[in-house]
Amino acid sequence: MNSIQKKILTLTTVVLVIMSVIWVALTYYNHKTQNQYNEILQRYLSLNEVTSASQQVITDLNNYMLKPTSENLELLEHSEEKLIEAKLDVDSLRNPENNFTLSNYINLIESLQETTDRFLLYFSEKDTEASTKEFTEAMNISNYISEMTLTILDTELKTHDKFYRSIIERSGEVIKLGIWLLLLITFVLILITYWFSLGITRPVLKLTQAANELSNGKFDVEINVETNDEIAFLARTFDRMRNNINNLISEIKNKAQLERELQENKILLQESQFRSLQSQINPHFLFNTLNTLSKKAYLEGSEETSDLLVSVAGLLRYNLKQIDRSVTLFEEVAVLKQYMDIQKARFTERLKFYVDVDEDCLFVRIPALTLQPIIENAVIHAIEPREEGGIIWFRVKDGEEKITIEIEDDGKGMDQEKIQQILEENQMETEGHSTGIGFSNVVKRLRLFYGYDHVINIFSDKGNGTKVVLSIQKEGVEKG
Amino acid sequence: MRKTSIFLLSLTFIILCYFTFISAKKVFRSDWQLAQETNQNVDQHRLVLITQDMETSFWDQVESGARKQALKEGASLEVWGSYGNNQEDFLEKIEIALYSKVDGIIVQGLDNAEFKELTKIKASFYGIPIITVANDVPMSESFRRTFVGSDQYQAGRMLANELTKEMGTSGTVVLMYDSEHEYYQTQRLSGIQDVLHMYPNIKTVLAQTSETREQVLTTTQDVMNRNPDVDAFIAVNANFAAGMVQEIGKRSQVEPYFIYSFDDAPETLTLLKEEKLDGMVKQSPEMMGENSVQLIMEWLNGDTVPLNTDGYFTDIHFLKAVDVQ
Repeated sequence: MNSIQKKILTLTTVVLVIMSVIWVALTYYNHKTQNQYNEILQRYLSLNEVTSASQQVITDLNNYMLKPTSENLELLEHSEEKLIEAKLDVDSLRNPENNFTLSNYINLIESLQETTDRFLLYFSEKDTEASTKEFTEAMNISNYISEMTLTILDTELKTHDKFYRSIIERSGEVIKLGIWLLLLITFVLILITYWFSLGITRPVLKLTQAANELSNGKFDVEINVETNDEIAFLARTFDRMRNNINNLISEIKNKAQLERELQENKILLQESQFRSLQSQINPHFLFNTLNTLSKKAYLEGSEETSDLLVSVAGLLRYNLKQIDRSVTLFEEVAVLKQYMDIQKARFTERLKFYVDVDEDCLFVRIPALTLQPIIENAVIHAIEPREEGGIIWFRVKDGEEKITIEIEDDGKGMDQEKIQQILEENQMETEGHSTGIGFSNVVKRLRLFYGYDHVINIFSDKGNGTKVVLSIQKEGVEKG
Repeated sequence: MRKTSIFLLSLTFIILCYFTFISAKKVFRSDWQLAQETNQNVDQHRLVLITQDMETSFWDQVESGARKQALKEGASLEVWGSYGNNQEDFLEKIEIALYSKVDGIIVQGLDNAEFKELTKIKASFYGIPIITVANDVPMSESFRRTFVGSDQYQAGRMLANELTKEMGTSGTVVLMYDSEHEYYQTQRLSGIQDVLHMYPNIKTVLAQTSETREQVLTTTQDVMNRNPDVDAFIAVNANFAAGMVQEIGKRSQVEPYFIYSFDDAPETLTLLKEEKLDGMVKQSPEMMGENSVQLIMEWLNGDTVPLNTDGYFTDIHFLKAVDVQ
């Protein structure tokens, strides 16, 4: 979980490793160069050693010749030993380019030794002439050795000239390499640091933005931080919090919605109850009077009038019942027929009413007084204004999933605006309804009762009649 | 935008990587080795060719022939020498070669006491074989193993024969030679004289001079003063030819005279090309180099012991100015 720390540690380690590699490489290079210089210098020094050793031999030889003491002899022997040592050293300097000269050189040194030995021999035999001659020779050889040392040094310089040049060239290259390496590392480090810091700051920035949006009240934007460090943890926690708040808020909203709908429903019911109460006192009296009138008409032989009065009374009684109840379609259809009897009596030949009912589906429940206002509407608009009269069809059809109730007239029809108005449950002025219940009230009650909006539909063309279709779904009807 | 910047960054990265890599390769290239130490050539015979006239065309040819042969024989050869007939330097080089105990010395013969002392006493003391090349010093005086070069007597004869062919059998001939009486010159001289003496009508004038240019000029002048009827000049020492021609040219036309010489001085070929010399004896320096190395190797390997002390002669032929054009 401490991955930011880990990242920082990794970065530091990488930088350190790079630095040490460079340091090691440069040190190695430096060491190598110094070794080479040293080796060459050593060659020169050992060559020089020969010269000085041979000169020392001559000096000691001279001293011994002038003062033949054992001390001087010892010195001479010592310097000779040194000469031999120097010779061995020089022998190791052999390479193809100086092979020849070096052989000569070593032989010269040997010649010097031999001459010295001969000198000592002659000297001990007191052969002065011969020893002097050998001494001169030794001196000559010593001179030749010095000369040849210079020659060999010259060859060495020539041999190593290329090498020196390459070393100098290379140290120039080292500087160049340093510059390139510096550039490369700087570049890489900047990139890595940028990427690395982005890895830390980007989630923080995202988190900040999310917090900002949250504080502005936007709870539905998901917080998405895809790293594996502490900030991702923070982001996840934050996101969970946002989700919780979001859920709470939507719950509260739902509740409020429900409450409002309930309220509306209540108001609607109260309105209709109030209306029915308004007409409750008179209607009982009116109902009894109508019954009396019916019997009287029957007794007086006017049967038709008596039937009409029964219908009116039935209608009235149905109307008087509480409006917020459900009835079966059968009852509703019966009332509808009584109402149409009354209307037929009124319009006589002008009204033609055709009924086509599938008896199997009359069990469905339907809110009371829903069909009657619709058919009343049809009578008002399709029969009343027309002298020649009109036709009204009433059909109940059983479908597989739903029962369709159609009320159709051949009147002048409605325009779309009006249909829209009705379906949107807008209140409009009532045009003399007997029940006092408006179309919009019916629509509202149907929708409330069945719980879906498309329960009622209106098809109409201007001048071609109107068709109101109720589709009642079979399932779920029982519970209503 | 993002793509472009990524592309640019990658490009920069690749370029930087490339240059760093190139640079690193240059720095850490592993030709650190100095010249390898070696002992493999120790067994090779070490030969030294010593001349008095380094870097003249004649000795350059001897050198190239010798080197070629040394390479073939697997011997290592060095060429030492003095410039411009510096005898002291030349003798010192021989001495160094002796002290250095080389396996063989091929040397241009120098007919004087120091040379003979060195070759006779020192060389025998160290047991180093010496072969003379081009110029000989007699065996009895130098203990040389053999001589490789032109038969100088024959060369003299050839030159004299050519002269008589051109000049006819009568006239005055000036023979200019060295006061040092070097062996090879005496040989040439005797060769020339042997031929010329067969013609009684040819008069030979011997002019002796030392090697400095002033001397040559003076001697030429002197000879011409004393013998106004001179017809031909022969520079027995090729080094005299230039001075001689210069002096003659000062006095009169060079054309009417027959001037002959040998090829072992650097300027003779140029003179021949300029038609100031009418002809010279051309030796085979490259062959001398080759043969000398071959012979000394044969001696060292014990293939031919002893070598023919009379010498091994290389080709000579006569070169006329007309041929060179």
